[in-house]
Amino acid sequence: MQEAKAEFEPVILAFCCNWCSYAGADLAGTSRFEYPTNVRIIRVMCSGRMDPTFILSAFRWGADGVLITGCHPGDCHYVQGNYMMERRFGFLKEVLGHLGIEPQRLRLEWISAGEGEKFAALIRDTTQKIKELGPNPLKAT
Amino acid sequence: MGEEEPRVGVFICQCGVNIGGVVNVQSVVKYAKTLPNVAYAEDNIYTCSEAGLASIKKATKEHRLNRVVVASCTPRTHEPLFRSACREAGLNHYLFEMANIREQCSWVHAHQAEKATKKAKDIVRMAVARASWLNPQEEPELDIKDVALVIGGGIAGMTTALTLANQGFKVYLAEKEPQLGGNIRTLHKLYPTMQDSADLLDPTINAVNANRNIETLTSTMVSDVKGYVGNFKVTLAKEAEKREVEVGVIIVACGAMNYTPPKGLYQYGVLPNIVTQLEMDGLLKNGKIKKPPERVVMIQCVGARKGEIRAVDLAGFPKSDTARLLAKILKAKKEEGWPYCSKICCMNAIKNAILIKDKFPETDVIILYGDVRVYKEYEDFYSMARESQVKFVKHIEEVTPEIMQGPEGKLTVTAYDALSGQEIALPCDWVVLSTPLIPHKEEVLLARMLKVPISSDGFLMEAHVKLRPVDTQMDGIFLAGAASGPKDVPESIVSAKAAAARAATLMANKKMRTEALTSVVDEEQCIGCGLCEEICAYGAHYLEDGKSHTIAALCRGCGACAAECPRRAIGMQHYTDDQVLAQIKAGLVEEA
Amino acid sequence: MTEKTVLVVGGGISGIQASLDLASRGYKVYLVEKSPSIGGRMAQLDKTFPTMDCSMCILAPKMIDCSHHHNVQLLTYSEVKKVEGSPGNFVVTVLRKPRFVDETKCTGCGICSDHCPVEVPNEFDEQFGMRKAIYMPFPQAVPRAMTVDKVNCIECGLCQKMCQAGAVDLKQQPQEVALNVGAIIVSIGFDLFDPAQIPTYGYGRYRNVITALELERLLCASGPTGGHLIRPSDGRIPRKIAFIQCVGSRDRRFGTTYCSSICCKYSVKDAVLIREHEPNATVSIFYIDLRAFGKGFQEFVNRAKSEYGVRFIRSSPGEIKEDPVTKNLAIWYEDTVAGRIENTEFDLVVLSPALVPRTDARELAKVIGAKVDDYGFFKAANILTNPVDTTVPGIFACGYCLGPKTGDIPDSIMQGSATAARVAEVLESV
Repeated sequence: MQEAKAEFEPVILAFCCNWCSYAGADLAGTSRFEYPTNVRIIRVMCSGRMDPTFILSAFRWGADGVLITGCHPGDCHYVQGNYMMERRFGFLKEVLGHLGIEPQRLRLEWISAGEGEKFAALIRDTTQKIKELGPNPLKAT
Repeated sequence: MGEEEPRVGVFICQCGVNIGGVVNVQSVVKYAKTLPNVAYAEDNIYTCSEAGLASIKKATKEHRLNRVVVASCTPRTHEPLFRSACREAGLNHYLFEMANIREQCSWVHAHQAEKATKKAKDIVRMAVARASWLNPQEEPELDIKDVALVIGGGIAGMTTALTLANQGFKVYLAEKEPQLGGNIRTLHKLYPTMQDSADLLDPTINAVNANRNIETLTSTMVSDVKGYVGNFKVTLAKEAEKREVEVGVIIVACGAMNYTPPKGLYQYGVLPNIVTQLEMDGLLKNGKIKKPPERVVMIQCVGARKGEIRAVDLAGFPKSDTARLLAKILKAKKEEGWPYCSKICCMNAIKNAILIKDKFPETDVIILYGDVRVYKEYEDFYSMARESQVKFVKHIEEVTPEIMQGPEGKLTVTAYDALSGQEIALPCDWVVLSTPLIPHKEEVLLARMLKVPISSDGFLMEAHVKLRPVDTQMDGIFLAGAASGPKDVPESIVSAKAAAARAATLMANKKMRTEALTSVVDEEQCIGCGLCEEICAYGAHYLEDGKSHTIAALCRGCGACAAECPRRAIGMQHYTDDQVLAQIKAGLVEEA
Repeated sequence: MTEKTVLVVGGGISGIQASLDLASRGYKVYLVEKSPSIGGRMAQLDKTFPTMDCSMCILAPKMIDCSHHHNVQLLTYSEVKKVEGSPGNFVVTVLRKPRFVDETKCTGCGICSDHCPVEVPNEFDEQFGMRKAIYMPFPQAVPRAMTVDKVNCIECGLCQKMCQAGAVDLKQQPQEVALNVGAIIVSIGFDLFDPAQIPTYGYGRYRNVITALELERLLCASGPTGGHLIRPSDGRIPRKIAFIQCVGSRDRRFGTTYCSSICCKYSVKDAVLIREHEPNATVSIFYIDLRAFGKGFQEFVNRAKSEYGVRFIRSSPGEIKEDPVTKNLAIWYEDTVAGRIENTEFDLVVLSPALVPRTDARELAKVIGAKVDDYGFFKAANILTNPVDTTVPGIFACGYCLGPKTGDIPDSIMQGSATAARVAEVLESV
C-alpha cells in the first residue's frame, strides 16, 4: 500500500453559512473558477451555529482539515453570529492542540456572496496546506 | 428519525451537459441505490423541467417515498420549486434535501471528471444521510392584525396613515407634539414648487382628520412595545395616562430635527442676526425682516461633513445604561459634528436665497459652500439663483469661517476663497447657517424598544440599505420619511407610500408563515443559566420559572443559542445536531 | 378579476419591486419586458455604492421571486403596443416578439449557443463582449431561456439540432395578446447620453475613452474580461485612469440641464473598485461639484481620498487628445482650485454620461396618453402630493423613467413600492 505523501489526498469539510459564504461558493461555480476536489461543503444557516462538537466530531471521524466560512465582520445576516464563531475558534484551536491535532487543520475565513474567486483561492490554499500537514494523526490509530 | 423508516428517493440531474458532461451521472445513480435508506434513484436530463418534476411526483407516489433528495444545482435557485413539487406529491416540504453537484462540483472541477464523479457520490451520500434524519415541520402561521400604528405625525407619518386608511386599514397615528405637521409646520415655502407649506400641510391634516379609519393621538409617545409581527402590543403615553393598543404593523415616521448649533459655534447665540436656515424660514414667513438687508451671507455644512462619529452599538449596553448612552452620543455630536452630508441643505439655502432676492432685490446674497449638492431637476433652481445674482463662493472648508461684529453692529464673515486662495472679508447684516437634519434624541429609545438597530450615523437602520430601504430587520416594522436619514419633502412622501405598501401587503394577507427554522428548548436539560437570552440578537429567548423558552415568531434560526448552550439543551429545527452530525459523518465515513 | 390585475411595463429593479409588492398581496401581475430577460441596469453593474454589495447577488433572488411567484406572469421579449380604457378596466395590447425558443422547454443549458457559428457584439456588455446569435443575455437571466437574434441568425439550424430538450422553434411567430388590467405601472428606466455628441472628448474615436457603464462591464466578474480591468486598445492594465463627470449633465447645449444625481457616487465607487483591483493604478476624478449626498456617502468619499488615494480635481476638462502610438489620452483642463491650466496624460478615460430618457419613452408616453416633461421623462401628476402618478389616472410610474430624483437603487425601490400602494389605493376604492 502506497503511503507516500505525494499520493495523499486530504478530505476537508467546509462549513459555509447560507447567506454569504455558501453563495460565494456558488459564485465560484457560476464563474467556473476551478479548485481541487478535496472539499465537501456542508451548509449551515450561520457560522454561529457551529457547535464545537461538530468540529471535534469531524476530526474524530477522520477529517484532515475543517474549514469554516462566514460573513465578514459587521455583515452577519444574524447580526453577530460570526463574532461568536470567532470566539470559539480561539479556544477550539487550543483544544485541538491538546488532542494531538495540529491547530492549523482548523481554519476560519470570511467570504462574502460576491467573492467567488476568493473562495476558490481559499480552497486551493487550504488543500495545499493540509496536504503538507499530512493525514489526520487520529487516523493512524 | 420519525415513526416510519425513511424511504429516500434520489434524483440526479444531468443538467444537460453542465453536470453530465463532467460527472458520470449513471454511476452516481448506481451508487445511490446502494446507500442506506435509499428506496429509489434515477437520473433526469433536467430535474427542474416539467418532465423532471412530474417524475419526482410519480416516483414519490409509486415507491412510497417519504424523503426526496435532488442532486443538481444550488438550492438557492430551485429549492422552492422542488419543495412545491414535494408538497404536490403529498410530502411535507421539510423532508426535501438538495445536493449541490453543479456550482460546487461539476462547474469547479471541469477538468477532473473522475474525481468530480467521486465527489458527487460523496455529496449525494451526505445529502441522503441528512435527509434520513429530517422531520416534517409545520411552519408557524401568524395572524396579522389589520391595524397599523404610525409613530410620528409629520408629512411622512400622515402620508403613510392616509395611504393605509384609504385601503381600509385602521390606523393609530401617534404624534408627540400637541398638533400634527412635524417640521413642515415651521417651513415657509416648499421647493421646488415654491408653494406655501400650508398648501401641502392643511389639506393633508384635513384629510387625516376627516378619515374615519385614522385615530389621531397627539401629545402621545410610545412608552413600551411588546409582541411580534402581526401582534404588537404597544403602550402609548399621553402625559400620565397610558393606553395599550394592539396592532399588526408599526411604521416609524418620527422624522428628524434640525441641528441647532451649540452656543458659540459660528457665534450662534452670541452675536445677533446669526440664524439657522429653519429660523430664517420663520423670519421670512412672519415678515420679521423689515429693513432690506445690504448683504446676507449663508454658510453651508455647519455641523455636517465633519469629524468622526462613533458607531452606536446598542447591543452591548444593558438597559440601565441607556441614559448614559444618550448623553454620550449627544456630547460626541456637539463637539465634533456629523460626518454625513444632509442632502437637502444646499437646496434649502438656494430656496431661501431666492426668496430673499424676491423680497429684497437689492440685497446681496452670498453662499459659502464646499460643493453645491443640488441634484435632479433642482439643478435648474441653482441656475435660476445664479441668474438672480445670488453669489456662490467656494471656500476652503477646512478653515472655519470667523464671524465678528464691527462697531456699528455690522457683522463680518472672514473665510478663504478656494479658487483664489485669498482671505475674503464679507461685511453683512445676516449670517444664515445651513445645518443638517439629525436624529431625534428619542430615536435611540424607540430603537431599543423596537429592537431596530441604529446606523453609524445615528438614524434608524433599514434592513438592507440598497434593497430594502423601508423595511427593518424586524418583521412588521417599517420606516418612513427622515427617520432613516435626511430626506426632502417629495422623498419623504415617496418613502411613506412605500412603507405603507410594504405594511399593507402584510396586513392584506391576514396571515404570515415563518420558516420552521426555530430553536427548541429541552426543558429537562435546561438549567436556566440565561446565556441564550443574553446572546440572542432578536430577543427570542426568555426565562420563565427557571427555564428558557423560545418565541418562535422572533427566532430567525441562526443557531447561535444552540451552539452556546452549555447543557446542549437547545436544538434547531431542520438543523438539529443529529442532522448536521449525520452529514459530517457521511462526508468522512463510507458505511457499508 | 380585472380590478385586481396590474400591468407593469419594464422589468428593472423598480418594476420588479412593484410587481412583487402587488403579487404578494394577491394581485395578478403581468410584467412586460422588452429585452429577453428582466433585471435591467442593475444586472449590468458590478458593485453598488456605497456598501459595495455585488449587484447581481442582491438582484438575482428578487428576479427569481418574480419568476416563481404564482401571481406574476413574465412576458419578456415583449412590447406594449396599445392602451385603451380607464382605471379599473384597461385593455392593453402586448406584442410578444418571437424568441424562436419555447420558454417552457428551454432549460438554459447553453449547448445551442456553444455550437452557434455567429458571433456579434453583446448589448448587455455594452458592445464590449461578444455573444452568439442564439444567446442568453447574461448567465443569471430570468427567464432562464435562450433567445435567437433573427437579425444576425444565418438559419443554419445547428441550435435546433443540438438542443436535447426540443426547445428551438425557428418557425415561431410574433403574437399579439390582449390583457385586461385594472392599473398600469411604467418602469422603463433610462439610457445613457451619447458622449460622441461632445467631439472634444473623442468618444467613439479614441478606443480608450469609455463610458462608466462600459467600465462596469469590464470590472464585473461575469463580464467580457472576467473582471480584469484592461484597456480596450491593447489589453494592457491601465495605470493612470481619469473620470470625467457631468458629460452631458448640467449642460445647456443638449437640453440636459439637470443633474443626473448618481454619477458622482458611482464614479467614486468605481474609483475605489479600480484601486482595489489594481493597487498600482492611480485614479483622478474631474468634477464640478462633488455630489456625494445620501446615506454613508460622504464617509465613502472621505475613505476614497484618505485610504484609496483617489484624486479629486475640480475641473470640467476642455479637450482630450489621443497619442496615435500609445493610444494614451492627454487631457487639457483648468484646475479651478489650483488656478492653473494643466495637460496630463492618462491611459484610460471614463466618461460619466448624463442619464437620459430611453429613446422609446416618448413613444410609450404617446401610447399611454401620458405627458412627459421638458426633458422627456414621464411627468408626475403633482411632484409633491402625487409623485408616482403619471398624468393619466390609473397609470403610475417609478424608477428613472420618472426622472433623476435621488436616482439610486433604494430610491427606485421605494418608488416601486409607492406605485404598488397607489395601485391598491385606487383599485380598492373602484
